[in-house]
Order: sequence, then structure tokens, then C-alpha cells
Amino acid sequence: MAEVAHQADVTEVGYQAGPLLEVDNLHVEFPTRDGIARAVNGVSYSLEQGKTLAVLGESGSGKSVTAQVIMGILDEPGHVSAGEVRFQGRNLLTMSEKERRPLRGNKIAMIFQDALSSLNPVFTVGWQIAEMFRVHQGLTRREAKQKAIEMMDRVRLPAAKNRYNDYPHQFSGGMRQRIMIAMAIALGPDVLIADEPTTALDVTVQAQIMGLLHDLQRESNMGLILITHDLGVVADVADDIAVMYAGRIVEHAPVHDIYRAPAHPYTKGLIESIPRVDLKGQELHAIKGLPPNLLRMPSGCAFHPRCPYRTDQCMTDTPPLYDVGGTRHSACHHWTEVIDDAR
Amino acid sequence: MGRYTLRRLLQLIPVLIGTTFIIHFLVWQLPADPFDGRCGQRPCSEAFIARMNEQFHLDEPFYVQYFIFLGKMLTGDFGVSFNQVPVINLIEDAYPNTLKLALVALTIEAVIGVGAGVMTGLKRGGFLDNLVLVSSLFLMALPIVVVAFFMKYLFWAQLGWIEPNVSTEVRWSELIVPGFVLATTSMAFIARLMRANIAENSSADFVKTAKAKGLGSGRVVGVHLLRNSLIPVVTFIGLDLGNLMAGAIVTEGIFNINGVGLTIFRALSLQDATIVVPLATMLVLVYLFMNLLVDLLYGLLDPRIRYE
Ligand SMILES: Nc1ncnc2c1ncn2[C@@H]1O[C@H](COP(=O)(O)OP(=O)(O)OP(=O)(O)O)[C@@H](O)[C@H]1O
Ligand SMILES: [Mg+2]
Repeated sequence: MAEVAHQADVTEVGYQAGPLLEVDNLHVEFPTRDGIARAVNGVSYSLEQGKTLAVLGESGSGKSVTAQVIMGILDEPGHVSAGEVRFQGRNLLTMSEKERRPLRGNKIAMIFQDALSSLNPVFTVGWQIAEMFRVHQGLTRREAKQKAIEMMDRVRLPAAKNRYNDYPHQFSGGMRQRIMIAMAIALGPDVLIADEPTTALDVTVQAQIMGLLHDLQRESNMGLILITHDLGVVADVADDIAVMYAGRIVEHAPVHDIYRAPAHPYTKGLIESIPRVDLKGQELHAIKGLPPNLLRMPSGCAFHPRCPYRTDQCMTDTPPLYDVGGTRHSACHHWTEVIDDAR
Repeated sequence: MGRYTLRRLLQLIPVLIGTTFIIHFLVWQLPADPFDGRCGQRPCSEAFIARMNEQFHLDEPFYVQYFIFLGKMLTGDFGVSFNQVPVINLIEDAYPNTLKLALVALTIEAVIGVGAGVMTGLKRGGFLDNLVLVSSLFLMALPIVVVAFFMKYLFWAQLGWIEPNVSTEVRWSELIVPGFVLATTSMAFIARLMRANIAENSSADFVKTAKAKGLGSGRVVGVHLLRNSLIPVVTFIGLDLGNLMAGAIVTEGIFNINGVGLTIFRALSLQDATIVVPLATMLVLVYLFMNLLVDLLYGLLDPRIRYE
């Protein structure tokens, strides 16, 4: 339990400025036939106004589940077993649905990986954007349409006015994601969660969408949580990075610190696995082994079976989030070694 | 879409010719001798046979009869029955009743089927879900005759809420119980279909989006989830109108409703092909027309469908 206490430190020491959004020691469980899958095991991260937090981690590390808890759209049978999500200091998880709904979409909005399946196939894209204004602001059909077209312009959708009545399947992947973005930022949210917004897109389009998100964030000064697998895309846009492994934050740090010298072996492995132009032709470093089974978590540090720095301590003691200096934190007993290796 | 509709209408022509040919063939082949039993116990007189042959071309080869029939149908002439009753009169008497009955059944199956499907699809595994799953299986397995007799026994003999026979005016209120009987199988099917659609779509990404937009659960279900889940059900319901009209024989018989099914049934037992063929042809027409309508409707409900 040392680790829980330490994570409380993180929130006190690191984010005194009063963060916009804080996830604090969040635990999420999915009861399954084979036992309880602990998808999220004490995640803490925080987001400042106008900043971008990139959340990184392998598939299944709990990035999306955490985001769904923040949004309040976690599917049954998943449930939060401990922890808090504070938005402007108020715990969202203890609010009634009635208090919470006006925040959803309005103050905290979300876009998803696959815009084609995330947009409703049987309604026009214009109608779907306009629905935000009609439901949250009670605008009339015509006013809402006007606003929706403005939003479509804002995400640089060509000929927005003419495309109001088109259906999602009539757009290209990149355009669809723009529509999702238009819908999400329609009401000027304070927090935007983008769950792998570019994974389903071509590389060139990925860059455009990232650029758009970055610009929109600058313009409206919202906090952006950018969930991704891809360390490559976050370098230019993120302020902070939270790296997740097996439902836990293993490293939380400003982006440049992480690139310069990762303080956790998992982060180090991720960075080494980015294809680099200057090392072209050399073999890529992949992190060996598989992510753990959530039903049978390894003892001690969940990463130890795959870790080159492993010692006996790692197999028995769960590492707390060590304070690495500045606003950096690493959940590795051997973080000093890891950092030194990188330097 | 206009071109598509036109092409579909043109396609109806060979289908209609083919089906009427088959109906005609089967029905006229039924009695080896059309005069068998037509004149009481005695064989029919020569004069009667000659007159009938003259009027109905009974001595002509089958295909000649068919072309005569087809030619008359095209000019809207449905002919007369062996008893010299204009068939159009029978159609005018029977069709509105059957249509009313089918519409009542359709309404019942749509409302109860969709309602039960939505409720159970949203809450799978609960008491209601199991109740609906078991009872729908039961209803689908039961022959409609049994359902009809049971309902009549319950509402007439036991509760006394209905008359044993539907009156000749065929009032809407009288059709509720027969309509329910006629609807049972489809109702059970729709409930299951709707349940499966709702269950599948409720974990769809667009439902997640709808929730993330901050819509109330009523709107998430009633607008976003329902609209998508209804598409296959609407298709089924549209096609079912044809089935209900054709399949109402048992219900019409048991509740004594003067409809198409009963008229065809009576004509068959009289071996009167002059009635059976036009009435059956009309049923085919209704079915084909509903089929076309459903295909067009499908395009309106699901914008991803393209007509070309
Ligand atoms: N409905 C569910 N039932 C059971 N387990 C679930 C459910 N949803 C998610 N999980 C589990 O929670 C874990 C975390 O899932 P999550 O979707 O958050 O991963 P992720 O980090 O977003 O991965 P990806 O990069 O693939 O999107 C997964 O291992 C998954 O098996
Ligand atoms: Mg995910």
C-alpha cells in the first residue's frame, strides 16, 4: 500500500496548480467467467488547462477503459472499484447521472478511433453535429444547422455547407474523423479525449488530423488527452506523457524528459522500438514477451517478466511511483540505472 | 431511384406471368373431371356440359385456357364463377376483410414484438428476458390452429368477451383476438429479431458516441439505437403483410371471417378454379407489391443502400 500513499504525493507535489482533470488511483474491474479482470490498477494522471497529455501503452493496458470512466460511458459489466476522477476539483464518480450528463459532451468530450463505426450510419453528419446544439443548448433546428455548418468549417471540411446532408459513408476516413472532431468540440469543451484518433488513417492524413487537433487545442485552450500506441506522433504535440502498462502508470513526465532519458524500462523499450530514419536498415528493438494476462497478474512489478533490469526485488515488491525530479515519476525500482543508461 | 423503381416494376411482369401460370396449372389440374359431383348424385346433363364447356373453355387445351384467362385479367375482367357469380364481387367482399385482419395482426406484432425485443435486448439475462425467450419459442412452435382454438375458448367460452364468430360488418374491435392469433408466430419472431439487433447494436461504437455526446438514455435508445435496430424488422414486417393475407385461412375459418382465405378454401372444396385462380393471383400481386415497397423503404431507412 506504500504505492497508494506515494501516488497521493504525486497529486499533491506535482499538480498543486489545481489541474483541470485528475484521475486519482483509479481501479476498474471486469468480472468475467474466468475471474475478475483488473483492467485498471491504480491509474493516476492529471491534465492542465491548455495542455496535451499523451497516454501511451500497449494494447490492453487500460488506456481506453480509463478514458471511458472519465466520460462515464464504461460498458457493463465493467465498474470502478476504487479511485476518483476529479474535474475542476469535483469528483465525477460520486455525482448523480443528472448532475453528470450536462458535463458529458459539453465540458468533457471524446473522439474515437474508428470514425466510421462511431458515427451513426443512418443520420446525416450535419444532423449528428447539430444534435449537440439542439440537446444541450435547446437551439431550433435552423439555428443548430447554422452552428453545425460553422463547426464543419472550423475543422476545415471542404464545402461544408453542401455536405451537411451527406451520410458518414459518403466521406473519406480523414473527413469522417474531422466530423467526429467537429461534433466533439461543438460546445467548446474544456477537456477533449482523443482515443487513438489517427490509428485508422493513412500516414499523410494522420499528420493532418494531428495538426488539426493541435491547432484547435491552441485556439480554444482546452486540455487534450491523446491516447495512442505511437510514441512517434506525440513528440510534436504533447506536453506530458503518461505511459501505461497493465492498468497502471509506469512513467509520467514532460515529453522532452522522456525522449531524452526514459526512467522506466518499458518506456525505454517503447522509444527504442520507434523506427528511426537515421538508423535505417538496422533491426528494430521490440519489447520481448507479451503483456500480462489481467486475470493472472505477475507478482511485484507487472513488467518484471519482460524486463532486462529485473532483480529479485522486482518479483516481490510492487514499485511505487518514485519521484524522479521535476514533475517526473517512474514506477521502477531501478529508475536511476535506467536513466543513466540512456545518458 | 425512379429508374430503379421502373426496372423493378418491369421485373414484376415475368414473375407475375410465371406465378399465375403455375397457379393456373395446379388448380385446373386438381379435379380430374370438373363435373364430378357438380350436379348432385347424378352425372351432369349433356346440355349443361356443353354450356359449361362453351363458357369456361373446359374442353380446350390447358395453355389455351391460360391465355384466355391472362387476356381477360389484363383487361380487368375476372370472369364469373361456375355458379355465375362475378368473381370481382367475391374479391370486393373478401379483400377488405382480410386486409383489415392483416393490418390488425401487423400492428399487434409490430407493437408487442418490437416492445418486447427492445426491453429484453437492453436487459439480457433478466426475468423478463427469459420469459420472452421461452414464450416466444413456445408461440413459434405452436400450430396456429391450437392458438386460435385456445384464444377462442378463453375469450369466448370462458370470459365471454367476444362472440364466437366475427359479424358480417367485420368491425375493427372484433378483429383484435383473431388478429392476435394471426400475429403470434411473427410477433414471437420479431421479438427475437429485435432483441438480437438491440443487443448487438447496444455495444456498437455509435451508441458509445451517442452516450459520449451527453444524450439522455431515452434519446440514446429511442433515436440512435432504435433507428438502426429497426431496419431489418421493418423489412420483415413489410414482407409479412403478404404472408399474413395468404396465411389467414385458419384464422378466418375459426373466427368465421369472410376473407380471402376462407373464400379460397370454400372454392377449393367446390373445385371451382374460376374463383381460386384470380384470388390467388391477387395474393401474389399483393406480395410482390409489398416486396417492392420494402426494398424501396429499405433505402430510405438505411442510406448506405444504393439503387442501381
Ligand atoms: N467489456 C469488457 N469485458 C472484459 N474485459 C474488458 C472489457 N473491456 C475492456 N476489457 C479489458 O480491459 C483491458 C484494457 O482495455 P482497454 O480497451 O482500455 O485497452 P487499451 O489500452 O485501450 O488497448 P488498445 O490500445 O488496444 O485500445 C483489456 O485487457 C481488456 O481485455
Ligand atoms: Mg483502446
